[in-house]
Amino acid sequence: MDRQYDIIVIGAGNGGLSAAASACCRGFRTLLIEQHNLPGGFATSFRRGRFEFEPALHELCDVGEPGAREEVGALIDSYGAKVDWVKLPEAYRLIITGEGEEPIDAVMPFGKQAYIDRMEEYVPGSRESMEKFFYLADCIMAANAAVAAAGGKADPKVMMREHPDFLKCANYPTAVVLRRLKMPLKAQKILSAYWCYMGVNMEDLEFGFYASLVHKYIVNAAYIPRFRSHELSVAMDKTIREHGGTILYNTLATRILMEEGAPVGVETTHGTFYARHIIPDISPNAVFGDMMDGGRDLPEAHIRAVNARKIGGRGYCVYVGLNRTAEELGVREYSYFISELSDTVKEQELAGTFREHPMQATICLSNAIPDCSPPGTCIMSFTTFFMKDIWSGVTEREYTAKKREVAEKLIRDFEKATGTSILPYIEEIEIASPATLARYAMVPQGAMYAYSCGEGDGLMARLQMLDEDQRVKNIRFASGYGPRLYGYSSTYMGGDMAVKLTMKDMKEENYEKV
Amino acid sequence: MKKFNFHVKPIGLLDMLHFKKMVPRRRAILQSGSLDPITAVYGVNRLAQSLHPKQQKAVVSAIIPRRDANTYVLRADKLAYFRAGQYVSVKLKIGGAVTARPYTLAASPARALEGEYEITVKKAQDGFVSDYILKNWKVGTEVTLSGPEGPFSYEPLRDEKEVVGLAGGSGITPFMAMAYAILDGIEDFRLTLLYGSRTKADILYADELERICAATDKVKVIHVLSEEKAEGFEHGFIDAELIQKYAPENYTLFICGPRAMHDFLARELPGLDLDEKHIRREFVPAPASPTYFGSYAGDASKVFTLKLRFLGEERQIPLRADEPILTAIERAGIAAPSRCRSGECGWCRSRLIGGDVFVPDSMDGRRLADAGAGYIHPCSSWALSDLELEIFPE
Ligand SMILES: Cc1cc2nc3c(=O)[nH]c(=O)nc-3n(C[C@H](O)[C@H](O)[C@H](O)COP(=O)(O)OP(=O)(O)OC[C@H]3O[C@@H](n4cnc5c(N)ncnc54)[C@H](O)[C@@H]3O)c2cc1C
Ligand SMILES: Cc1cc2nc3c(=O)[nH]c(=O)nc-3n(C[C@H](O)[C@H](O)[C@H](O)COP(=O)(O)OP(=O)(O)OC[C@H]3O[C@@H](n4cnc5c(N)ncnc54)[C@H](O)[C@@H]3O)c2cc1C
Ligand code: FES
Repeated sequence: MDRQYDIIVIGAGNGGLSAAASACCRGFRTLLIEQHNLPGGFATSFRRGRFEFEPALHELCDVGEPGAREEVGALIDSYGAKVDWVKLPEAYRLIITGEGEEPIDAVMPFGKQAYIDRMEEYVPGSRESMEKFFYLADCIMAANAAVAAAGGKADPKVMMREHPDFLKCANYPTAVVLRRLKMPLKAQKILSAYWCYMGVNMEDLEFGFYASLVHKYIVNAAYIPRFRSHELSVAMDKTIREHGGTILYNTLATRILMEEGAPVGVETTHGTFYARHIIPDISPNAVFGDMMDGGRDLPEAHIRAVNARKIGGRGYCVYVGLNRTAEELGVREYSYFISELSDTVKEQELAGTFREHPMQATICLSNAIPDCSPPGTCIMSFTTFFMKDIWSGVTEREYTAKKREVAEKLIRDFEKATGTSILPYIEEIEIASPATLARYAMVPQGAMYAYSCGEGDGLMARLQMLDEDQRVKNIRFASGYGPRLYGYSSTYMGGDMAVKLTMKDMKEENYEKV
Repeated sequence: MKKFNFHVKPIGLLDMLHFKKMVPRRRAILQSGSLDPITAVYGVNRLAQSLHPKQQKAVVSAIIPRRDANTYVLRADKLAYFRAGQYVSVKLKIGGAVTARPYTLAASPARALEGEYEITVKKAQDGFVSDYILKNWKVGTEVTLSGPEGPFSYEPLRDEKEVVGLAGGSGITPFMAMAYAILDGIEDFRLTLLYGSRTKADILYADELERICAATDKVKVIHVLSEEKAEGFEHGFIDAELIQKYAPENYTLFICGPRAMHDFLARELPGLDLDEKHIRREFVPAPASPTYFGSYAGDASKVFTLKLRFLGEERQIPLRADEPILTAIERAGIAAPSRCRSGECGWCRSRLIGGDVFVPDSMDGRRLADAGAGYIHPCSSWALSDLELEIFPE
């Protein structure tokens, strides 16, 4: 088979699929290497009995309606991938239950005005601060667009002149800005629900990022593919082939071949393939470590820089097929955030323990896609994450019981918070722990959230340090570990961005296509 | 939306500075990392690898002969732990063919941690692999296995505390693992086993079962003989009446046995008033011919041509209409991935580029999007025409 390519993409997760499609569509000879036997990484599906489960996706933002696509929807359309998108019914229901907490049970709608109005119902007097919040979110979206239009390198003077409000608030922790907006505490809590999607508490997560996240979800609504994420990934596979790309499944990349400080090829379990430009959809830990002798030949500063990164939330999810309908069970919403606490700092701390684990993000797929399972049944999943690497200490023999212990707590917490009964109706159950994520996507520590974007490693800093962060010439990351961060939309955008940066690298060395 | 004349009071010039500090701050953090070798492999990743190795090598260390079957004790320094009821796929090269078969791990999971597995291979009618193994495996034979696979295990969050197991022939194997796991305190449920054999002499694991039942009151065995009448044994087939006779009030049914047993039970189970949740079935390998399925409308006597693509290569091979497509590939000596060979696990997932196939509903374990996009599981699909197919060798 052909051994010579312009670009080799390692890993067919969201970022890798997007990078491969972007590269093929631009006429590069592209090879996509994936160790599993199907595309998607986390963006996949699996079957048990009568049910087909979604492993990861709760909601994908930035898709938009046909004809009025947002950024990510437009990108996927531009690749020629056909996906049957389903619009989600509501934003979320937040339930705070713990002792000593003011109880909260809020169902929040999509749409800016509807969201502000609903907040005013739950928290009278919150309107003004909410409007200010969305005003700032608009400013941030506008500034982001300006930075993107300037190719990531916006002129500071222009920014100060045109986007002063952005500069004033974007880099502060979200909680600081919400307090300064004099937002009532309860409204702050309701607005903070999405922190679970980043795994970084509100005293740490930068406002610029959080506000744009809320804006994307609330203003533009969110979507999922009808036949689970696997539909999206299969559609991407198809379009990559149609544009002349080559995909190898069941093929593990084992080593980066280097010459004079730049890659020339990739060794795999199916032989060596050559290319001068590599786009990994995996972690720098894997690429610069396990695939390059632990980083032995890298400058010290680079080794330090990789080792300094903090692995983000380690994923955990329980999937159940139930032999009752959602209606029969009294499960009314699609998306739930449930926690014993409203203090995200404490939540993040307790998320480093097995027993006190406080929060979950729960989905009832059937409330978005009623026929996703046979009549008389429904599908739910209960997701949480661990902020410490505690699963590394679990032995093989303890493993199943440990998984089950967490699963039972999550389901019981849900039952308690919603007054429903779930456990007696489980027809199929599967539990994914960090070890499961490590198995299927080979992510370090079973991370679902790549490198944390807290503690100074946020989006804005990463984007400003794009060049410095390129530790080895001609290697550009598409994964959630890259400059655009984790999440579906981020990795889709990140894959395309990695190709654009690769083209810049090519230009600098007058690269000629093979 | 209307624009606010917006001032957040205490925010001023300072904030611009805050913004500017972002990069130096991150730069400093990045230089605080260690000089340890970089790796993405942590304890959890090693746990995942040891629970789910891609491949395992072991050596036959003992053979326990049984009626029309052998139990093989397999040893290695390290073997993956498993859940009682799981199987391994045994990989073989037989003549010019490369193939694999699933065999259930029949001993206690505890022994895996000491580097020991047990599988029992029963002679199958015209059995290609079982014949080969029974004739050729000796003490010292090196064998290649997959990691443990399959969802046919007890799950307390789903199943009742009481399990009624229905076993036929070699279908006893997962229940042996479960019984041993109960005995070793690894699993916690009560198992009432209805075990169907032709005659007393055909019962596999008779002595072991007796010993387990003597050692724990959580396991109970009722032997059901179809071709012999004997005192202390039930006679006939395992049917609804018999199940009701021995079943406790609330229970989950676990079924493992030949296809004929599943077919027979399909007519009996409606009489039991059990919902799907309470019936767990082990996968059943493809039948000898697609004509077994009422919905098959092809001509099973035909031989088509398969244009096979893999790793950039292309081969034309003969394709018998009466065998699963996977068999044609394996006969040609090409290693195609497989595990369950029952349509369920998805390991053999392949891309159909052209041609028509027959996929019986009862064996269609494909993902919804795959079925729509032309992917097939060749272990449970039969050709209705010449085909072009891409496989993804491991
Ligand atoms: C339970 C859960 C829920 C989530 N919910 C949401 C949500 O609602 N919304 C959202 O936006 N995001 C969500 N996420 C996050 C999102 O799924 C991830 O951020 C995103 O899918 C990561 O994509 P990636 O491009 O980094 O690649 P990954 O999905 O990590 O894929 C990497 C790929 O590389 C392959 N690979 C690894 N090593 C090698 C090698 N050496 N050789 C070849 N191939 C290799 C892997 O097999 C894998 O296919 C969730 C994640 C989880 C786990
Ligand atoms: C989950 C699971 C667990 C199982 N556990 C056990 C167990 O514990 N013990 C046990 O005894 N059985 C077990 N089985 C059944 C086992 O996997 C085999 O199906 C059984 O041993 C019969 O295999 P066989 O090759 O002998 O017979 P068959 O599979 O019936 O072999 C005949 C078939 O072999 C193929 N064939 C014939 N000639 C060739 C050739 N030259 N090249 C390639 N293919 C050829 C043809 O398709 C033919 O139809 C299990 C099955 C499953 C699904
Ligand atoms: S081998 Fe399991 S589906 Fe084909």
